[in-house]
Amino acid sequence: MVLTMKHHLTKGFPKLLLSLLLVLSSLFATAQEISGDAANGKKIFKTNCAACHALDRKLIGPALSDVTERRSTEWLVRWIINNQELRESGDADAIAIFEEYNGSVMTAFPNLSESDVMDILAYTIEGDKKAAPADETGGGEIAASDEKGDNTVLLLILGGILLFLVILLARVKNTLKQVKGEPTSTIIEDTDRITRAALKNSRVLTLITIVISIVFLQQLYYGLMSVGINDEYQPEQPIKFSHKLHAGENQIDCNYCHYGARKGKHSNIPSAGVCMNCHMYVQEGPKYGKEEIAKIYAAVGWDAENSQYIEGYEQKPIKWVRIHNLPDLAYFNHSQHVTAGQIACQECHGPIEEMEEVYQYSPLTMGWCINCHRETQVKVESNDYYTEMHEKLKEKYGADAKITVEMIGGLECGKCHY
Amino acid sequence: MAENKKYWKGIEELVDSEVVQKMRDNEFAEKLPVDEFLGDKAKLEDSSTSRRDFLKMMGFSTAAATLAACEAPIVESIPYVVAPEEIIPGIPNYYATTFSNGYDYASILVKTREGRPIKIEHNTMAGINGSANARVHASVLNLYDATRLQSPLISGKKATWSDVDSQLKKDLDSVAASGKQVVFLTSSILSPTTKKLIKEFGSQYANFKHVTYDAYSYSGKLDALKAATGKRALPIYNFQNADVIVSFGADFLGDWIGQGVSADYAKRRVPGKNMSRHLQFETNLSLTGSNADKRYKLKPSELGSALVALYNEVAKAKGVASLPGGKTALTSQIKQVAKELLKAGSKGLVVSGSNNADIEAITIGINDLLGNSGMTVDYSKRTYFRQGDDAAMKQLIADMNSGNVGALFIHNLNPVYRLANEDSFAKGLEKVSASVYFSEKNDETAQKVKYVCARHNYLESWGDAMPADGHYSLQQPLIRPLFNTRQMEDCLMAWSGKTGTYHNYLAANWQGILNGKDWQQVLHDGVFKSDTVATTTESEVTETGVAEENTEEASETSPSLNFSAQRLAKASNQGFEIQFYQKSGMGIGDLANNPWLLELPDPISRVSWDNYITISAADALEKGLNNWNESNGALNGDVVNITVNGKTIENVPVFIQPGQAHGTIGLAVGYGRSGAGKAADGVGVNAFALMNGQHNASGLSIEKAEGEHEFACVQLAHTMMGRKIVNETSLDRYLHEPPSTERGDGWNQQIVFETYKGPLGAEETNLWDDFDHETGHMWNMSIDLNLCNGCGACVIACHSENNVPVVGKEEMRKHRDMHWLRIDRYYSSDMTEEKAEEEGIGAIEKFAEMEHPAESPDVFFQPIMCQHCNHAPCETVCPVAATTHSAEGLNHMAYNRCIGTRYCANNCPYKVRRFNWFLYHDNEKNFGVNYAMNDDLGRMVLNPDVTVRSRGVMEKCSMCIQNIQYAKLEAKKAGRKLKDGDINCACESACDTGAIVFGDVNDKDSRVFKMKQDKRMYHLLEEVGTQPSVFYQTKVKNRA
Repeated sequence: MVLTMKHHLTKGFPKLLLSLLLVLSSLFATAQEISGDAANGKKIFKTNCAACHALDRKLIGPALSDVTERRSTEWLVRWIINNQELRESGDADAIAIFEEYNGSVMTAFPNLSESDVMDILAYTIEGDKKAAPADETGGGEIAASDEKGDNTVLLLILGGILLFLVILLARVKNTLKQVKGEPTSTIIEDTDRITRAALKNSRVLTLITIVISIVFLQQLYYGLMSVGINDEYQPEQPIKFSHKLHAGENQIDCNYCHYGARKGKHSNIPSAGVCMNCHMYVQEGPKYGKEEIAKIYAAVGWDAENSQYIEGYEQKPIKWVRIHNLPDLAYFNHSQHVTAGQIACQECHGPIEEMEEVYQYSPLTMGWCINCHRETQVKVESNDYYTEMHEKLKEKYGADAKITVEMIGGLECGKCHY
Repeated sequence: MAENKKYWKGIEELVDSEVVQKMRDNEFAEKLPVDEFLGDKAKLEDSSTSRRDFLKMMGFSTAAATLAACEAPIVESIPYVVAPEEIIPGIPNYYATTFSNGYDYASILVKTREGRPIKIEHNTMAGINGSANARVHASVLNLYDATRLQSPLISGKKATWSDVDSQLKKDLDSVAASGKQVVFLTSSILSPTTKKLIKEFGSQYANFKHVTYDAYSYSGKLDALKAATGKRALPIYNFQNADVIVSFGADFLGDWIGQGVSADYAKRRVPGKNMSRHLQFETNLSLTGSNADKRYKLKPSELGSALVALYNEVAKAKGVASLPGGKTALTSQIKQVAKELLKAGSKGLVVSGSNNADIEAITIGINDLLGNSGMTVDYSKRTYFRQGDDAAMKQLIADMNSGNVGALFIHNLNPVYRLANEDSFAKGLEKVSASVYFSEKNDETAQKVKYVCARHNYLESWGDAMPADGHYSLQQPLIRPLFNTRQMEDCLMAWSGKTGTYHNYLAANWQGILNGKDWQQVLHDGVFKSDTVATTTESEVTETGVAEENTEEASETSPSLNFSAQRLAKASNQGFEIQFYQKSGMGIGDLANNPWLLELPDPISRVSWDNYITISAADALEKGLNNWNESNGALNGDVVNITVNGKTIENVPVFIQPGQAHGTIGLAVGYGRSGAGKAADGVGVNAFALMNGQHNASGLSIEKAEGEHEFACVQLAHTMMGRKIVNETSLDRYLHEPPSTERGDGWNQQIVFETYKGPLGAEETNLWDDFDHETGHMWNMSIDLNLCNGCGACVIACHSENNVPVVGKEEMRKHRDMHWLRIDRYYSSDMTEEKAEEEGIGAIEKFAEMEHPAESPDVFFQPIMCQHCNHAPCETVCPVAATTHSAEGLNHMAYNRCIGTRYCANNCPYKVRRFNWFLYHDNEKNFGVNYAMNDDLGRMVLNPDVTVRSRGVMEKCSMCIQNIQYAKLEAKKAGRKLKDGDINCACESACDTGAIVFGDVNDKDSRVFKMKQDKRMYHLLEEVGTQPSVFYQTKVKNRA
């Protein structure tokens, strides 16, 4: 803990300085050439341009960080709003760039106003200010861990004081005894004497034995009962994939990647092909940069430089570590719960959208399943499957009875074990 | 009285030599090296490890190891890199394809999970053979057989395909230069595209022939058809139109000419005024004979005369000249049969199952007299399941031996095994310089040829078939080839210098067949019915000049009925006769290395893992042959040596078979393999070694041999001892009498108990509280004993759906079979309650007599699975509540709760619970034959939705609860009511006669609800008050 703290400090400080400098210098640059709102520009860029362009590298279209240096502002405005018109007007530069990119047509954006374009250009100059905020959070972490460190130190200090007090009092006692002329004894001798007396007393001995055995049995019981229960299990994954970023901040629907959950037994781990749907364009993450995304590219064989799949590449599957392991003897079907039961993923998987790294939220024990089946109401309304059954159940349990999974046989062994 | 006896350890002791003295003093003959580690006292004392320390450490490390085992292992979860669009993990996909191996043909659907084929289902869209039999159901396991050939071989050594191509090219060039024959030898090929390709391949050679030969040949039948109808092809038989069916040795419900007729037959076996009448003349007790209303036994040699007699009776009535001969012992019976046939007229049908052209000619003659063409026999449309030509084969063998054949290609046929009767084929093969064999196995023929072309399994291949005029089907691969194999057609493409794959060739050829229909749609449906396409011409059926020559020859010798009758009259009936037959599991042994099929008990004898001779009790007594049971119930029997025409097979086990004609024995083909794989090799004897092309032989000698044989027969009691197990009645009684009477003699008598409350039915007299079976579903199953013909397809389907283990012969012998669904077979006995009463026979004698089946018994089949009792005896005795009841009327079994006390099995009146005595999976050493559970490849066939049970656990039929849950879930997801028929119980969907119906009796529109109201309905052992969810429909035989 202390070690990592130091590490953060030494590493974080120069970075902070550096990024501050960067931000400052880029601010000056913007002020000089183009007047636009870079923040608004970023928004427009992300929605309209990011599919084909990045600031720092070539995607489908060229890198744009220094585009204002390469082209005149006026030309850029015309090109962005309607590049085809510009080409047809016989602009040599426009035709040249069109041919350089093998005649792939850039979408025209007639809905963008000139000021919008200026905002975008401002953004291309300013770039992402992500370095700074990333380090800010880093700084925050440092502060937090400092506080935690203080607690431990405080406790240690308190302990030290207490020890000191004990020794002090013993000294005082001995001094008093010396004054009275009685024989003195050290702390160790005292402890030894008291312990011997206690051990000779059969009542104390019995009490101690009982306490020790109760503690031991209790620990044994909990120890054994927790065998095979792995809640909080959080193995290290081959890619530092963040659900917090994808499901939380970017609000990607769980079913987009885990498309099997609605349809079948398995909530499948998405294939790398699904990742590529977005990561063909999003080539850099906010936290680990290109490093983690490169692992997807290594799996599917994507050449990020040239934005194309490598021909004849031997694809390597990503070996994720399974977190939720039900024993083979229990049959669990996701679609039963997600589609028929209309249960949110979070009911069992916890606040997945807040998890940087996923851990097992629920114990996944049979007792846990059964409890839920006892309490959960079946969505009998608006599902024709249940219509007849519901009528009969109302006769049996009363018209406003809450129909739980248990009532339709959800506790029977054979429903999950076959 | 204690005596001080002295025992010598040996004669040496008597002599009392010095050596003995020494040995007596030293307990251990050799010096134990104890001193080395105990002798050195100093060293021992130096050692810091005392015995106590050692024990402590031992204890600690054991405890540590135990604790460490609690740590969950890391489970990797590996997704696709790029997921195939059509696969969603956990959801099965079904694809239509075709099974056609020259013997069986079926249009099927294959269930795949995550790309693995795991189960075969019927293709209900098919117009012909849309249902799979037991073999086709089991064929999916053969795909995962690790003993399949994994690469081509040249002269027995592993080779590459390019080696094969180049070397064979050289060989073929030299054969072509020498002008010797190039011959393609196959079993019946149904594929028009394959035939075209073979023809095109042959056109490269001046002297090319295509010879077709069927292992269990119907060449004689085809010749007779050629003579009578001008076309050498089988007609379509319409059993659903037949009022009276008379079969002369045709086992059409078992294995006949390839056309699947059991569903059509079953349509008319529903009791009522419209029920057909089925009369059977035969030698062995066959599956078809077991289902007949009346069965007559005769020797194979008497079959011809009986037919002629029948012809004469019919001819007499029709005013046609009669034939010579026709002397038969069954004159009065034949007269009766003729009367019935004449009454049915064009709705009568006579079928025969022999390879004798004369017998077939007479059969065709009788059918013509009845005028049933177009009604029950359709000559206008033909089937092509059997095309073999015995004469052409004979010619080929002669040519091979005279050295005229330069190259021989063998496909879908294992001639060295099938023609084991004479070694002329094997000898001739040695003289063929370029012999090529397309095979999945390194089998008998593979060991004798130069090139073995490792072939795809049918689930890896492209193909097509035209089983009958106007009916087409497609075959598509379900999985990438598992090994370095190539399908026969692709080999031919390469060797005839064609570019592209057979897939392209097939698609191109189909443009002509499709006539504008969409290829994708036909591929999806699997079948294609064409009315516009003209029926095939003669030249397309018989491919080559040789075949045509022979058919001409056949037509020359093809006799008028008179000649046929004369020849039949002369048939020798000297001595014992043998009838060769095919078991509904093994067939001709093409899929031999299939433990599911090997373990499937024969429907009649209930013996698995064997073939044997069947002999009547009287003949056995005369010959001093015997069957007896060991103290554990296992069956043993004598063995004999049998000789036919100078060929002998030794040590053939004897099985005493009720219903076997006197003076005859039966022997099943398809066993006695070598090189087929570890499950099949060495099981049984090769009957082909005695079979000379014909289905029977006479002049047989049987000689008792030394030793005894151990059978694996799973049924001990063969009669019902007067109990209502299979409830049986006659059509007459069914139509005219009430099922239940007050006198208690109804044909489906309800059981009534006299109680203090008055007479009460079994349902009302019980101690238990009833479950609520009104709310939600209530699953019931109806089994119609009239429609069940005992074929065993359901047993195999259950195997493959529910991961039922195979236990092997030794365990089967101990009645430890694991079949969740078994088909019990009962014989009638000559002794009945009524007879005993009439004749004043005492109880002991009566029951002793009742145990013996009659000489010509009625046979009953009864599929029995867990009856899912609503007052289940098993549930009340389970000490750990591992088996419990569901509100939906099922009896659940939680394997992981089971501790294996077996109380439940002991308390089950139906004996349907199965106990895992051993670990049948992952136990290669002891249960290696069960490769479906013991090697990595075999395990791919397992159904991932069903737990593989471990040792010490009880198991039983679950009514395919995985499919019930699946269907319910699909309905819930779609927000619709569950429809009748949504649920696919493996046995129900495997049954092509519709004998098994599963459904929800709370759904008043369901089929099962209607079946439950039927007056034939009864519960098995109703009197014990178990209230089963399974019920049976009374068996009604069409007789007075």
